[in-house]
Amino acid sequence: MLKGVLEGSVLEIISRKETYGYEITRQLNALGFTDVVEGTVYTILIRLEKNKLVEITKKPSDIGPPRKFFAINDAGRAELQRFWEKWEFVSSKISELKENRL
Amino acid sequence: MNFWEKITGSDMTKEFKAFETRAKKLPADYQAAWEKIKANLWTHSDFTGRNLMPILDGVLGLLEETAADGQSVHEALGDDIKGFCSALAGEEGAKSYRDKWREQLNHNVAKKLGK
Repeated sequence: MLKGVLEGSVLEIISRKETYGYEITRQLNALGFTDVVEGTVYTILIRLEKNKLVEITKKPSDIGPPRKFFAINDAGRAELQRFWEKWEFVSSKISELKENRL
Repeated sequence: MNFWEKITGSDMTKEFKAFETRAKKLPADYQAAWEKIKANLWTHSDFTGRNLMPILDGVLGLLEETAADGQSVHEALGDDIKGFCSALAGEEGAKSYRDKWREQLNHNVAKKLGK
């Protein structure tokens, strides 16, 4: 379950500004997903890239090899909206279940 | 890839050598992880291993980036290298030779049954 949630979260982070793997990982860690490592984010980014939801630019960094930057595109924005709709549904249903209002 | 390369796999040998040269430049703990990743990815290989080439290239890029950031390999990849590899192979849609054989078997059985 967490995997789908993480994918949506990564897309949301990318939608705010163009960013790269390390920064995304740090943001997720700061949010409280402490066991998310860069490798996890990397596999998610590959998936987003394969599904053509993001645009990629390579930019030289001051240290080491060029970094891959990710920016959201229109397909990504549509997917992100679907994700939040699904999330709203799931989270409202789960809290309904928890409060036993069935 | 020309015919000669397809038959001998010489293009892959060359690519592999280039990967190893890049890997040699990584810190020691990263090199150990690289060996582990290769071993774990191998089960997702198709018959020739050609499907793994772009994946290995990407992973090496990730290792280079994170090493340059000064992260430890543990910070970058966590404990679950095996899980990381199957996620990688899964996302890339790499089919293993087992998948191919399974497909072939199913196909042949269906044919025998006249379907």
